Amino acid sequence: MNLESFQNRVLPAKNKLFRFALRFLGSEEDAKDVVQEVFIRVWNGREQMNEIQNWEAWCMRITRNLSLDRIRSNSRRQTRPMEETFDVRQEALTPHETTEIRESMHRIGQIIEALPEKQRQIIHLRDVEGYSYNEICEILELDMNQVKVNLFRARNTVREKLTKMNAYGL
Amino acid sequence: MDSNKIEALLKKYWEAETSQEEEQQLREWFRIHEAPEPWKETAAMFRYFDETKKKSLDDASFNATVVSHLPAARTGRVRKLVYNTLRIAAGVSVLCLATWFVHKEMQESTDPEVVDTYSDPKLAFEETKKALLLISQSFGKAEKQARKINMFNEAQEEIRKEKTTQEQKL
Repeated sequence: MNLESFQNRVLPAKNKLFRFALRFLGSEEDAKDVVQEVFIRVWNGREQMNEIQNWEAWCMRITRNLSLDRIRSNSRRQTRPMEETFDVRQEALTPHETTEIRESMHRIGQIIEALPEKQRQIIHLRDVEGYSYNEICEILELDMNQVKVNLFRARNTVREKLTKMNAYGL
Repeated sequence: MDSNKIEALLKKYWEAETSQEEEQQLREWFRIHEAPEPWKETAAMFRYFDETKKKSLDDASFNATVVSHLPAARTGRVRKLVYNTLRIAAGVSVLCLATWFVHKEMQESTDPEVVDTYSDPKLAFEETKKALLLISQSFGKAEKQARKINMFNEAQEEIRKEKTTQEQKL
C-alpha cells in the first residue's frame, strides 16, 4: 500500500475511530492522539492489510486496544465523563423547544455513559456507527451471542430510564 | 410509513431484533417526522445518535499531521534496500578474504618437493640433466683438489721412504 491509497482508503475512517476513542476516553485531545497512533500502526503494518478482510474493523479494534491501554496508563488520572454539547438549533423550533431537546439529549448521553463498558461500546457501534453484528463481533472480539445479549440489555436499560424520564418529566 | 409500522419496529428495536435496514428506517422516520408525545424521548435518543455521529476531526490539518508523522514510505524502502545490499556485500567480502587467507596459508605450508615437481616428463628430464651436470661439474672441481692433496701425500711418503733407507745405510 502506498501513501496515496493510504490517504484515500484508510484516512477517511478517522471520524469513526475518533468517536469510538472518544467514547472510551472522554477527552477529544486523548482521542485524537489515539487515532493518530492507530494510523501510524496501520501504516507500519500495511503489508498485512491484503490479508485482512475487513480493515476498518481491524482499525477499530486497534483503536479500542490503544484506548484501553491509555486508560490503564492514566489510571491515576480519573477519566472524566464526556462533556457533550449539541447544536440542535432549527428554524422550526422555538428557543424553549431547542433548550428542551438539548436537555433531553444531555440526559440520554448520561444514561448511555452510565451503561457498563461493554454495553456502551456495543450500543455505540450499532446505533451510532451502524455496524453489523458480525463487524461488532470482530471489533470487540466477542461472539455473536454476547453481542446480542449486551445490546438487548443496553437498549432495555435505556428504554427503562427513558420511560421514567417521560413519566416523571425528569 | 404509518405509526403502527413504526410502533412495531420500535418494539423489535427494544428487543434488539431489528435488522440494520429496519434501524435505518426508524432513524429516518424520527429525523423527518415530529414524534408524538409518548415517543418524545425515543426521538431525542435517535437525535442523540445522529448528533454523536456528527462529531469529527478537522479534516485537512489532521490528515496533514498524520502524514507528517508517518515513517517515509519511499525513502524507507530505498534505505532498507541499500542497507540489505551493504549487508550482503560485507558478508561476501568477508568470505572472499577468508578464502584468500586460507589459500595463502595452504600454499605456504606445502612441501617444497611437491612445489618443484614437474608434470611434463621432457621438462623434468631436462631439469634433472641440468641438476646432474651441475653436480658432476662440482665433482670434477673436487677431484682436481683431491689430486693435489694426493700428490702432497705421495711426496710425503717418498720423503719418509728416503729417510728410512739412509738410516739403514748408516
